[in-house]
Amino acid sequence: MNLSWHHLVLKEGRRRPLRTAITVAGIAIAVAAIAALLAFQRGYQRGLGLELDRLGAHVLVVPKGCPFDAASIALHGASWPCYLKASYLEEVRALPDVATAAPALMSAFPKPDGSQTVVVGATEEILRLKPGWRLEGRFPTAPDELLAGAEYARSRGWTVGTVVSLEELPGPRRIAGVLEPVGGADDGFLYLPLEAAQRDLRHDHALTHILVRLRDPSRLDEAVQRLRGCNAGMDMNVVPLTHLFRTLQGMMGATQLWLACVAMVALLAAGAGVSNAVLMAVAERTREIGVLRAIGASASDVFRLFWLETLLLSLGGGVLGLAVAAAASRAVESWLRDRLPFAPADPLVRLEPGIALLCLGGTLLLGSVAGFLPAWRAARLSPREAIRTPAGA
Amino acid sequence: MSTAPHASSPSAAGTAVAAVVAAGLGKSYPRGRETVEALKEASFEIRSGEFVAIVGPSGSGKTTLLNLLGCMDTPTAGTLHLGGQEVSGLSEPERTRLRRDRIGFVFQHFGLVPTLTVAENVALPAFFARRPAAQRVDELLDTVGLSARRNHRPHELSGGEMQRVAIARALMNHPLLLLADEPTGNLDSETGDSILRLFQRLHAAGLTLVVVTHNPALAAAAARRIPLRDGRIQP
Repeated sequence: MNLSWHHLVLKEGRRRPLRTAITVAGIAIAVAAIAALLAFQRGYQRGLGLELDRLGAHVLVVPKGCPFDAASIALHGASWPCYLKASYLEEVRALPDVATAAPALMSAFPKPDGSQTVVVGATEEILRLKPGWRLEGRFPTAPDELLAGAEYARSRGWTVGTVVSLEELPGPRRIAGVLEPVGGADDGFLYLPLEAAQRDLRHDHALTHILVRLRDPSRLDEAVQRLRGCNAGMDMNVVPLTHLFRTLQGMMGATQLWLACVAMVALLAAGAGVSNAVLMAVAERTREIGVLRAIGASASDVFRLFWLETLLLSLGGGVLGLAVAAAASRAVESWLRDRLPFAPADPLVRLEPGIALLCLGGTLLLGSVAGFLPAWRAARLSPREAIRTPAGA
Repeated sequence: MSTAPHASSPSAAGTAVAAVVAAGLGKSYPRGRETVEALKEASFEIRSGEFVAIVGPSGSGKTTLLNLLGCMDTPTAGTLHLGGQEVSGLSEPERTRLRRDRIGFVFQHFGLVPTLTVAENVALPAFFARRPAAQRVDELLDTVGLSARRNHRPHELSGGEMQRVAIARALMNHPLLLLADEPTGNLDSETGDSILRLFQRLHAAGLTLVVVTHNPALAAAAARRIPLRDGRIQP
C-alpha cells in the first residue's frame, strides 16, 4: 500500500463532488467552444481549398447575381435561376489570358426523398480543368451517352455500357464512363454532352456557367478586368474564385475572431473559477495543511498537492470539453451548413488530433497559472498557525 | 511489534544522548504594541525512553512548549537539542525534515485526512519521506488493533479508533520523540483509558513520549511531570 501524488489528488476531487463538477463543467464548456471554433476554422479553410482544387478553374463566369450563390450552385449542383447566352463563350475564349474555357449547363431535379439528380451538360474541355478525374470508360460524345459520378453509379449498380432510363431525361441512355470517386459533389452528378443537355433540358444556346482556366494565374486581376471589359461583360458576372474564397475566409475569419474572443473570455472566467475553487479548498483545509506540515510535508509538497489538484481539474475539464466538442460536431456541422452563405462539400468541422492537443495544452497552461496562487498560499501557511485554525474555517 | 524509536546516538563518552535538552528556552510573540512571553527560561531534559507529561492550566505555555519541541516553531531565547542536535536555529526546510524523520505528532482533533483510508492516513509520513510504507503500515495497524479497519475512512471510525490511527501515523517514520497534544481531550473516559494503555505499551517498548494533558489519569501514568504556570516551569 504505497501512496502516490495522483492518488492523493484524485481522492481530493471527491471531497466536494458538486463543486468539483461545476468547476470542471466551466472549463469543459469553454474548451468545447474553443475546440469547435478551431475545428470549424480548420475544416472550412481546408474545405475551401479542396473546392478550389476540385473546380480546377481560376475564374467562374456566371449570369448576373450574387457571386457566392453562383459559386455554391456551380460547385454543389442546383437549378439556376437565369442563363448565359452560349455566344458569350466565344468572347471568353477569344481573350489571350484564357487557356481553357469549359461551358456548362446545369439543372437539378429534386426527388421526393429530398435528394436530387444534378445533370450537367459539358464538353470534353472540362477534362482539362479536372486533372484529378479518373474515368472508367470515356467522356460521352454521342447524344444518348452519359458519364456518371462514382456515387450515383454505385448506388444504382451502373457500369460502363449499361443502358438506363431516367425520369429526368427522355429516351434510353448508355453509360459511356463512370467517374472514379473524387470526394466532392461531382460524385453525385450526371454529365451529358453539352448539345444533348441543351436539347433535353430545353435551353438551346444557353449556358449556366463557364469555367475558365488562365494561362498565368498570377495575372488574375488583369484577366478579370479584360473579361469584364469584353462585349458580353455587362451581361455576365466574372467571379475570380481565389478572391471569392479569400473573401469568404475573411468574412468567416472576422466572425471567428469575435467568437474566439468570447471563448477566450469564457476560458479565463473558467480559470478564475478553478482558482477560486482551489482557494476555497485551501481555506477549508487550513488545519489539515497544518497537520500535513506537522507530519512531514514540506512547503513544496503542499504546493505540489494543490497545484496538481488544479491541473487535474483543468485537465478533466479539457478532456470533457473535447469529448463534448467531438460528440456535438455533427450537430454543429449541420447547424452551420444550414446557415452559411457558402459551405464546402467537405466536412466543415474537423476536430483533428493537433487541435485536441492544442486545447489540452492550453487547458494545462491555464490550470498551471490558475493553480499557482492557491498552491502558493497553501505552501506559505505557517504550520503552527494553520494547525490552530478551526476545522473547515 | 516494531514501535521502538530511533536508537539514540551514543555520546563521545559512550552514554546515551538525551532525547530533549532545553536550556533557557523562551518564546515571545508580538501582540499589537505588547510582547507576550508565552514561555520563559525553560530548562529541562528528557531522557530517551522517558514518558513525560506537561501539565498546567490553560494559557500556561504548554502548547507553546510542545510546538517548540516539535519544531513547529522557533524559540526566541535559549537553545534546544533533540537527539543531540541543536534545532533552535534551523531553517524551515530543515525543521520540516526533522519533523518528518524524528518527531511524531498526535493531536486532540486527530487530524486525519477524511478522503483517505485508515491505511493511507497511516502511510502519509512515509509518503512525504519518499519511503515505502506497506510493511510498516501493516505492523502499525496491528499494533493499534485496527488491521480490520484498514480500508475504512475516518468518518466510519469511533473517536478512539481515529486517535489510534493518528498514533499509528505518528509512529510511521520511527520517531525519536512522540508528542501528543491533549490526546484524550475529545474522548470519553473509557476510550481515553484505552489510549492511555496504548501509550503505556509504546513507552514500555522504548518510545520517548511527551504528552500535554489535562487528564489526571494520563498525567499520573507519566514517569515525570513538567508543571507549567504563566510560561515558567514550576519547581
